[in-house]
Amino acid sequence: MSEPRERPEQLKRPERPERLTVLIGDDEPLIREVLSEVLAAEPDLDVVATASDADEAIQLAVRHTPVVAILDVRMPGGGAWAAHEIRRLSPRTRVMAFSAYGDPGAVDEMRRVGVQEYLVKGLPNTDIVAAVRRVAAV
Amino acid sequence: MPEYEHVDLNLLIQCVVDYAIFMLDPTGHVVSWNPGAQRIKGYRAEEIIGRHFSVFYPPQEVTAGKPDRELATATVEGRLEDEGWRVRKDGTRFWANVIITALYDEAGHLRGFGKVTRDMTERRTVERALDERGQLLAHLVQAQEMERRRIAWDVHDDTIQSMVAVGMRLQLLATKAPAEHADALLRLNETVNASIGRLRNLTFRLHPPGIDSDGMVQGLSSYLDQVVVGAGLTYELTHDLDAEPPSETAITIFRICQEALTNVRKHARASAVKVSLTSADQGVYVRVTDDGVGFAEQVDSQVKRGHFGLIEMRQRAEVAGGWWNIRSEPGSGASVEFWVPAVRREAP
Repeated sequence: MSEPRERPEQLKRPERPERLTVLIGDDEPLIREVLSEVLAAEPDLDVVATASDADEAIQLAVRHTPVVAILDVRMPGGGAWAAHEIRRLSPRTRVMAFSAYGDPGAVDEMRRVGVQEYLVKGLPNTDIVAAVRRVAAV
Repeated sequence: MPEYEHVDLNLLIQCVVDYAIFMLDPTGHVVSWNPGAQRIKGYRAEEIIGRHFSVFYPPQEVTAGKPDRELATATVEGRLEDEGWRVRKDGTRFWANVIITALYDEAGHLRGFGKVTRDMTERRTVERALDERGQLLAHLVQAQEMERRRIAWDVHDDTIQSMVAVGMRLQLLATKAPAEHADALLRLNETVNASIGRLRNLTFRLHPPGIDSDGMVQGLSSYLDQVVVGAGLTYELTHDLDAEPPSETAITIFRICQEALTNVRKHARASAVKVSLTSADQGVYVRVTDDGVGFAEQVDSQVKRGHFGLIEMRQRAEVAGGWWNIRSEPGSGASVEFWVPAVRREAP
């Protein structure tokens, strides 16, 4: 049985073994793409997977056990369902909501399923990156 | 007429509580009163005797000269029957069936008027809710709300998301671009963000979150938290409801409150606002009161000047089969009050 291949960027930066892995779940391709780029531009963050619905996000979280999963609240299948299942099947993964909606109902729903951070879309990129690091440190 | 007939007639009038039975002098001032009148209109005899009967009419009907017109018609035709809103002592309204009879003595001189008024609010409310027109109105309210929700969701899920992505991309480019371009990119990003903010406000007004999922009181409470507290005011929300109203009623109440609160925020210069919801007459009676600067102008002239918020509030209440009123005096705040029927229909 062969060893899993190391990712090229890990080879490039052997001095940082504790890289922070991130999964992105959002049905809006533009958001998935740009959020991946924003996070990938940070030296300590690794986007290991992107998903466009709840089921895909759950499967990829189980496969990659990322440190942080960033989930859209209204993606198909429901962000709350995805968060609940990821917390159950990959307990090591911390979940962060990234939503166009900031109403108390949506925030409460996500908090109840174990989401640690709730970001409303439109915040500066630096705030998003800081939140990912904060959630990972919990 | 034998003496006992006088006694019985007086006894009858004094025992009837389902009808207001009273007399007016030829100029329309109240000269007698019965327990039914006190029950229906809220005045005790000593408070009302001597006052002109126009106090029973909504202000805009007094302005339009309706009370005098009704007496004139009764004088000419002998009697007049009318149905419409009348005002109780506490300012709330009831749907009245009114019969005014001109009373002439044997010499043919007008001695005054007999007035019999019955409170038909509950009967009218139930009948209207169940008839075709009531059902059509309920469907219309629902359809309009669905349309607003669809537009709000489209803007949220499509336009805002794309603009968020554009903003994020501009920030990313700014970190990579040479300094002279980075500033321009960040300014562009600020413009995009400001537009996102305005679009969010638009969608919030179009379809406040929670309006159709959390119940009316909770929906209003969230709205007050966001909009009123956000504008630096304090609020008090009290409710005494027998049951959650049907959704079209809840939407109508929410929309009128929303408009009233917008007025408070924009014009009243208030520091506190009170909203109260009470079950009454098979409906919900709502008051939105502020402690702002108030105004002296008559509502009708504000409406004529095109104050669309007031027109919309009144129309919403009246289309739903209810009534709406605003009261204010300079320096003592304003009070929007309305009542809308809340009759639950059986599912078809």
